[in-house]
Amino acid sequence: MKKFSVGNLIAYAILFIASFASLFPLFWTFSTSIKNRVDTYVLPPKFFNFHPTMKNYTSLFKIEAFPHIYLNSIFVTAVSTILCLIFGSLAAYAFARRSTFKGRTSLDALMIAVRAIPAIVVILPIYKLTSYFGMYDSIWTLILLYAGFNVPFAIWLLTSFFQQIPIEIEEAAKVDGASNSRMFIQVILPLAAPGLVATGIFISLLAWNEFLIPVILTGENAKTLPVFVAGFISNKNLDWGPMAAAATVAMLPIVALTIFIQKWLVTGLSSGAVKD
Amino acid sequence: MGLVSTSLPKQRRLTRPIAHFTLGTWVLLGLTILIPLIYGIYISLLDINLSSFVPPQFVGLKNYSTALQASETWSTLRITISLMILGIVIQIPCGIFLALALHKQLRGTKVFRSILITPMLLTPVAVGLTYRFMFDTDLGIINWFLGKLGIESINWLGSQTSGLIAIVIVDSWQSIPFVMLLVLAALSAIPVSLFEAATVDGAAGRQVFRLITLPLIKPTLLVVAMIKIMDFLKLFDTIFILTRGGPGNATTTLGLWTYKTGFVFLELSRAAALGVIILIITMPVYFLWRKSTRNVR
Repeated sequence: MKKFSVGNLIAYAILFIASFASLFPLFWTFSTSIKNRVDTYVLPPKFFNFHPTMKNYTSLFKIEAFPHIYLNSIFVTAVSTILCLIFGSLAAYAFARRSTFKGRTSLDALMIAVRAIPAIVVILPIYKLTSYFGMYDSIWTLILLYAGFNVPFAIWLLTSFFQQIPIEIEEAAKVDGASNSRMFIQVILPLAAPGLVATGIFISLLAWNEFLIPVILTGENAKTLPVFVAGFISNKNLDWGPMAAAATVAMLPIVALTIFIQKWLVTGLSSGAVKD
Repeated sequence: MGLVSTSLPKQRRLTRPIAHFTLGTWVLLGLTILIPLIYGIYISLLDINLSSFVPPQFVGLKNYSTALQASETWSTLRITISLMILGIVIQIPCGIFLALALHKQLRGTKVFRSILITPMLLTPVAVGLTYRFMFDTDLGIINWFLGKLGIESINWLGSQTSGLIAIVIVDSWQSIPFVMLLVLAALSAIPVSLFEAATVDGAAGRQVFRLITLPLIKPTLLVVAMIKIMDFLKLFDTIFILTRGGPGNATTTLGLWTYKTGFVFLELSRAAALGVIILIITMPVYFLWRKSTRNVR
């Protein structure tokens, strides 16, 4: 136990207030999602003194398209994440192990451009192209685009993970005559497994949350969860209960994931962003 | 993100050519970024309207001159910059305070950190919905709470100033954790002995922060500011859900205006020209960012 001090007291106060501010909206969304209308639209607000109901969830699941949309989201997220991990780990291996190779500088510049350019700039022409090639409203279009937009993040994260693997291991393998691909598959990938998991989780969060791409490029067939959730505000009469239920089912997998992968996530996020 | 250290001299010892390992990434980025960018510049020179069936004509720079003369272009750019300034002024100091509080390594730090990073991971659209009913004028919990403090009800999403503030509040709720994490990583990199030496020399807490901590985390803060500028140029989901850019165009950013031009007014070519203008605005930030991240490396 550290000594009591005013500084520590202030730090605790800041942390408690910030934690409350971080959690309250989540609590409020969830509690709204299990309230009846009479308990929702009242003042003073009811925090705990109401009878919970599953009505909002049952009406949400009754929407015919909902399971299809949820599955779309899962599928697009999973496949685009796998693509990112495959192509990203290959490129990251090159970045981690060579200070120069053909096209390194241009690829580096292009990756930063992906991070810097607002998606709307490229989505407009992509919309035109997809409708020309008959790829509008297709989950494969989404998968390709998600993979393209997210692969730089995968490369940055994985590069830092690969760099932590001692190069001597590979030099030993090199003496034995192992090729690049054998070293990559047999030496690097197994050692970087935690890094791959952390990166995969981070990339899948990005894909799961993506809104601008699907809102422009999908109709009914390839619609994803964020587009569906956003649909709740298109009508004038906002119905908070189902809205909160929809928001909850969109956020629930994320909250669950963050609890389970806490440690890797923090390492992944900060090591990808700043060299420590 | 993306400030990974990439030059490791001793690793030149592995010599087999490796460029082909990046082929897949080149294909992905070519299809999703390079080709669309070039095609976008091309269609900005045509006169495509999505509601018309007349074959598009080449009109040169007409869309650009139209865009530069339109008052909406400038007013939405002003709104974008206002959001950016307000957001940065709020988010960076808050991020620093939280990082400093976590850096004290008090009991329970890990739990606090887990709680504090949760908002940044959540779906912006869902977060927007949540705040949408929390910001409700008559029955929203935020106005109820303000009422308890004796503050009159605010029509949050109904006017320009309060709408912009609401957008910044929601964005800050999701972005401060990110600032916090980056600052925390920078703080952890400072040797503890430095603080100890300063304390022995009799420096007070505030002096230590101003003379030691701040100069050492400055490169990180610059990177954070750069990332925030880019993110505010990109900001879309939160505004789309909270206000749709309204009332009128009062909270419409340049990005959202581009969207509206293309998909509400169906003027695809004009929107593409706006896209290229956004690209040009992004350019200096892009180069500054590349430079500042090199320093961090």
